[in-house]
Amino acid sequence: MKILFYTGKGGVGKSTMAAAAAWQISRENRVLIVSLDPAHNLGDIFCVTLENGSRQLTDRLILREVDLKKLSRDYLEREVKVLTDTYKYLQVLNLERYFSVLKYSPGIEEYALLTSIEETIRREKGFDYIIFDTPPTGLTLRFLALPQVTITWIDRLMQIRRQILEKRYTIQKIRGLLKEGQKSPEIRLEFNEDEDGVIQRLKTMKNNYDTLNGILQGENCGVILVFNPDVLSLRESDRLMEGLKELGFPLRLLIDNKVTDENREMASRVEEEFKKMAGGIPLQRVALSEALYCGAEQKLYDIPEDLLSNLQWKEKKDV
Amino acid sequence: MGTSLFDHIGRFFADIGAVQREKAIALTCVELNELENIFALLLLGSFVGFPAPPTFLSVELLPFMEREMAVLHQRAGDASDMLAEMVGTMGID
Repeated sequence: MKILFYTGKGGVGKSTMAAAAAWQISRENRVLIVSLDPAHNLGDIFCVTLENGSRQLTDRLILREVDLKKLSRDYLEREVKVLTDTYKYLQVLNLERYFSVLKYSPGIEEYALLTSIEETIRREKGFDYIIFDTPPTGLTLRFLALPQVTITWIDRLMQIRRQILEKRYTIQKIRGLLKEGQKSPEIRLEFNEDEDGVIQRLKTMKNNYDTLNGILQGENCGVILVFNPDVLSLRESDRLMEGLKELGFPLRLLIDNKVTDENREMASRVEEEFKKMAGGIPLQRVALSEALYCGAEQKLYDIPEDLLSNLQWKEKKDV
Repeated sequence: MGTSLFDHIGRFFADIGAVQREKAIALTCVELNELENIFALLLLGSFVGFPAPPTFLSVELLPFMEREMAVLHQRAGDASDMLAEMVGTMGID
């Protein structure tokens, strides 16, 4: 299974390019296209209405829009449930009411996005391709960086936690380990890794993030950068490419979208700049679709340009 | 009914042993408390203006952090009298 992320500045045509690629791939392969952008417009591009955030367009093409608010809410509900189970004596208080404010915490939305990607990759094994249409640059970079940032934190926390467990073990050993059935007047602290809830949870999270990171940086995953022939787009794409490079995510294709007769010269200049920056990454030019201005008669996703032949799946081509 | 003199003597020596063991681990206990405090502070430090880990990491671990939070709370209370804390740790009367 191959995974593609369509990224770029807001309004450059990421969703349209993702939809066009999904349409072209679906001629021969089973494709799932998932919109992660809170401003969904997959339905508009394919001229259909998505019921419950999903729709089967053809035998080989399924559209899905992720409801970020619902995902954040579900995640928090799960956590509140664990909290209420742990602190049973606090059930008299309306915990949910207190925790409802958590949905405004920074980071929850990115986490919900990441969880959605992870779940989609884990569950949808029946597809040959999964295409993600991502939110604009800032949010995309933040959630793509999240697994690595989290792994760094988890590693440090696990290190401290192990030290805590070691100290607890030393203390218990000197005090004398309890025999079976014997009761201690002091609180017995967990010192065994298998019984310590914190380290168990940390280990589970680390495993999940390691797996996800492996998939995202793997050879079956790729990022496609969409831009327009203008200076602002160039600058933002520059930052995005730098961010992707730092994170180790493989860039597979550059798409110069919305090229017209009027901006062709600018397009060539911007493309030259991109070639210098991205060195070796194939570039595809796509003309501005007339369907955008002619109404829904023409299909926005059915573009004449081939978005697949240039996709570079290997870092270095075999000779 | 009643325990024999030998039992009392046995308990006496056992308690001496326990006191010696407690003395031996006193510093390790302080160290453990500090480590638990640091752990809680790293995860929940955003409350006192420290840079926070990703929010969901704190939320995920919150259900298991009852003891660490109690330690953090106690340490915050003791922070106003660090001299007494140090003297206590070093066992100076």
